[in-house]
Amino acid sequence: MQRSLHLSHPPEQGHPSDVLPLIEDILNEMAEAEEWPITLTMRANLILEELVLNTLTHGDTSGLTKIDLELESQDHALTIRLSDDGSPFNPLTDAPAPDVTLPLADRPIGGLGVYLVKTMGEELEYRRENDRNHLKLVVHPE
Amino acid sequence: MEFSHDRSRDTLVVNASGRVDGSNASDFLESLQGMFDPGDQRIILDLGGLEYISSAGLRVLLMAAQNLDKQNKSFSICSLTEAVGDVFRISGFDQIINVFPSVEDAKQG
Repeated sequence: MQRSLHLSHPPEQGHPSDVLPLIEDILNEMAEAEEWPITLTMRANLILEELVLNTLTHGDTSGLTKIDLELESQDHALTIRLSDDGSPFNPLTDAPAPDVTLPLADRPIGGLGVYLVKTMGEELEYRRENDRNHLKLVVHPE
Repeated sequence: MEFSHDRSRDTLVVNASGRVDGSNASDFLESLQGMFDPGDQRIILDLGGLEYISSAGLRVLLMAAQNLDKQNKSFSICSLTEAVGDVFRISGFDQIINVFPSVEDAKQG
C-alpha cells in the first residue's frame, strides 16, 4: 500500500503543528486497511511528527518551500521517504544524541526526538541530491 | 487531551487521555501544573487512556518529574498502553520514572 503527502512551506494553515492531523489521518487509514500492530502506528506517527516538525521549525527554513512524504507498507513494515528543498540537514549526524542512561535529575530536556527516530527507524539513509534533503527509513512494530 | 483528577489526603491521581503531541504539549504542561497542590506529597499520573505521545509529550513528563523530584515529592506513572509503553522503553523513561501496572500498584509502591 502506498500513500503520499505534500506539504508546502510556510504552511497553508496557521501553525506548523497543523500538519499533524494530516499525518495521523494517513497513518490511521493505512493501519486500518492493513491491520497494523498498534506499536507500528505509534512508531510511524512519532517518527513522522519529529522529522516533519524538525524540518518546519528548526534551523534555517528560509529556502524551504515544500516537504514531500512517501509511505509504502508491506507485511507490517513501513518504508518512509521524506524529502525537502530546505538547507542541507542530516538529522542522523547533525543533531546531538542525548545520553539516555543519565539519572532523572541530569537528563536534558531536549534532543530526544531525533534519538527516537534513530532508535525506532532502521536502514536509515540520508543523501543530499539536487539541492534537496532525502531521508529514507524503515519502521517495524518491534 | 482530557484530564481529570482525584485527591485523597496527600495523594493526587491525575488521569490524562487522548493524544499529546507538538500541538498541545504546552497545554499538557500547564494543565498538569495547574492540578498540583502544595499539599500533595504523592502524584500518580494514570496514562491508561493515552493513545499517543511524541517527544514533545515526553519532555513535559520529564520536566514534571524533575520538578517534583527537586521538591522531594513522589511521582509515578501507571497503566501504560502497549504503544506508550513501547515509547517509554525505547526512550529509557521507564528507567528514570517509576512505572506501575495500575493505580493500585502505584499507591502501594
